[in-house]
Amino acid sequence: MLIDQIPTAFLFFAAVLVVLGAPQGPVRGVILLMVPVIAGLQVWSLEPGIFNQVEFFGFTLDLMRVDKLSRVFALIFCLAAFLGNLYAWHVRDTVQQVAALLYAGSAIGAVFAGDLITLFFYWEGTAIASVFLIWARRSEGAYHTGMRYLVMQIGSGVILLAGAALFYRETGTIAFEKMTLGSPATWLIFLSFGIKCAFPLLHNWLQDSYPAATVTGTVILSAFTTKLAVYALARGFAGTEILIYIGAVMTLFPIFFAEIENDLRRVLAYSLNNQLGFMVVGIGIGTEMALNGTASHAFAHILYKSLLFMSVGAVLFRTGTSKASELGGLYRTMPLTAVFCLVGAASISAFPLFSGFVTKSLILDEAGAGHYPIIWAVLVFASAGVLSHSGIKIPFFTFFAHDSGLRPKEAPTHMLWAMGITAFLCIAIGIYPDPLYALLPYEVEFHPYTTAHVVGQLQLLCFALLAFGVLMRTGIHPPEIRAINLDFDWIYRRFTPALIARVANFISRFWTAKMNFWMRRMTEIKTQLFSAYGPEGRVAQSQTTGAMVLWIAIFLGITLIVNFLS
Amino acid sequence: MPNENSDNYPWLGRMFLWVDKPGSANKIFWGLAVFCGLLFLIDFFYEKHGHFDIEHIPGFYGIYGFVMFTGLILLAKGLRVIIKRPEDYYADKAVDREEYPDDQLEKVDHNAD
Repeated sequence: MLIDQIPTAFLFFAAVLVVLGAPQGPVRGVILLMVPVIAGLQVWSLEPGIFNQVEFFGFTLDLMRVDKLSRVFALIFCLAAFLGNLYAWHVRDTVQQVAALLYAGSAIGAVFAGDLITLFFYWEGTAIASVFLIWARRSEGAYHTGMRYLVMQIGSGVILLAGAALFYRETGTIAFEKMTLGSPATWLIFLSFGIKCAFPLLHNWLQDSYPAATVTGTVILSAFTTKLAVYALARGFAGTEILIYIGAVMTLFPIFFAEIENDLRRVLAYSLNNQLGFMVVGIGIGTEMALNGTASHAFAHILYKSLLFMSVGAVLFRTGTSKASELGGLYRTMPLTAVFCLVGAASISAFPLFSGFVTKSLILDEAGAGHYPIIWAVLVFASAGVLSHSGIKIPFFTFFAHDSGLRPKEAPTHMLWAMGITAFLCIAIGIYPDPLYALLPYEVEFHPYTTAHVVGQLQLLCFALLAFGVLMRTGIHPPEIRAINLDFDWIYRRFTPALIARVANFISRFWTAKMNFWMRRMTEIKTQLFSAYGPEGRVAQSQTTGAMVLWIAIFLGITLIVNFLS
Repeated sequence: MPNENSDNYPWLGRMFLWVDKPGSANKIFWGLAVFCGLLFLIDFFYEKHGHFDIEHIPGFYGIYGFVMFTGLILLAKGLRVIIKRPEDYYADKAVDREEYPDDQLEKVDHNAD
């Protein structure tokens, strides 16, 4: 069939032309839904191998490197694009529609990229396409946020290109395969992946930009960029030990920030960061089972994270706010959204029978089997932390807790469908994980539903819930208040600009002082010279110009007289 | 919401109303406490195959979850004291103080129709 010959990403790019030709409305909506379906079917039918090699300035680019690892990520990206576009059915904004297609296409292209140059092109493609989902909000704040986002994302791409160039000089190949950290080339590539994966201290673009995007844009953003980075790390740096520690820190610090954050979409962004940590730990451990854990957790995570962003987005769509301090009691008139949100919350918290449980335990189990006691303890703690913000805070303070008095209408039908399908998948994976396990890169020999697993996890979660109950009843739990919290981005948003302003001020004052000093000296010298040689000066006093002229006149007169007389 | 008629709510919403009835919060809390107690007791009745010795302590996960969750909340509360700032801290460079543009929303009240 012809369609097998086309790189999957190109299907999305070609669809942009079709979309632009179609009128706004249901026709365009259907096309936007069809593209990921066709792409998904194509990916499903692909045989492992390398296709679509093209020559490019003497390099051979592998546009389609199909194996089980790239396939599972491409499939979930297609699914996420479908669900995102269904959720965005009401959007009549061409910018967002085109951006979503180009973004999904680039992410899928990057996943299939067999070499570093192809990867770089798609890597930048995701950056450029996705920023329009932020700018599409069309507000001053969104503009500035988008710029900050773009600086980080493009920066990541440029670092990748630098790394790829060095890598080529070092090894003579541009193939994107497993690498060993050590040379500047591999460190640069690692750093580039790390920026997109929101490593600690490189993470702020995530919490900054996702809450600033449009209602539907955030849902689409949440699926691709960071999971592309997870894929790239799994492909390039599996078994790199430092990732275990980076990942553990990633699971840990966002839970504190998420707990006190007021904007629920930012809470979810912190929570996303924490979930990435689990995947990164899996990559760091690097065993077949751990990588299975990472891939399956990415798959499940994209679904339940989308679901949570969708439910909070629906609330924002109906009420105009996603701030916990302004919400509460919405279950009365938005009960379906509330139920879907609870499914997402249960899935991310990894309650048994929900998707997070069957995927996260793969990683936790490998951390235990690999004898990383501290890492394991951190991950278990972080699991309780996930419950605190995504499991409890998001549904509780939006749909329950105190009554905000808001009585918004239930979410529109297409949003309910998008949330319903996603919620169904979250539960289906949780109850029957075998089809997902079959998609994973390696054979799976794992049984999540053992008594010990189920009871252990239920104990962890239910006792944590009990602690929440105690803290609420005693009034110790921090209230939701209208405020923002500083994070590391304060360094480059406030501190560094202020520092630069200080230094600039100091330099300019120093310069002015120096200039004034020399100007004064010059003026003094000029004045001294003037007083000595000026018309009133002492030097000019004895021999004035007038005297000179007089003497010349006298000499001239004498000469005339002598001339006349002789 | 004076004079509000809860009969207008969707049926699912009406079913949830139970949680706001006086005493329901207590019932949920104590129900959860009893369930936690049961989970603790179950630990004595099956064989564990944990990777670490600490996992074999009865109720380990429960105790760990309770203590760490409480610690997390208290630490986060302390953290807030240090890093909390007003919403307009970053002024027009961030979306925090902005209203979401109304023309991109469909703010409909439930009682409107």
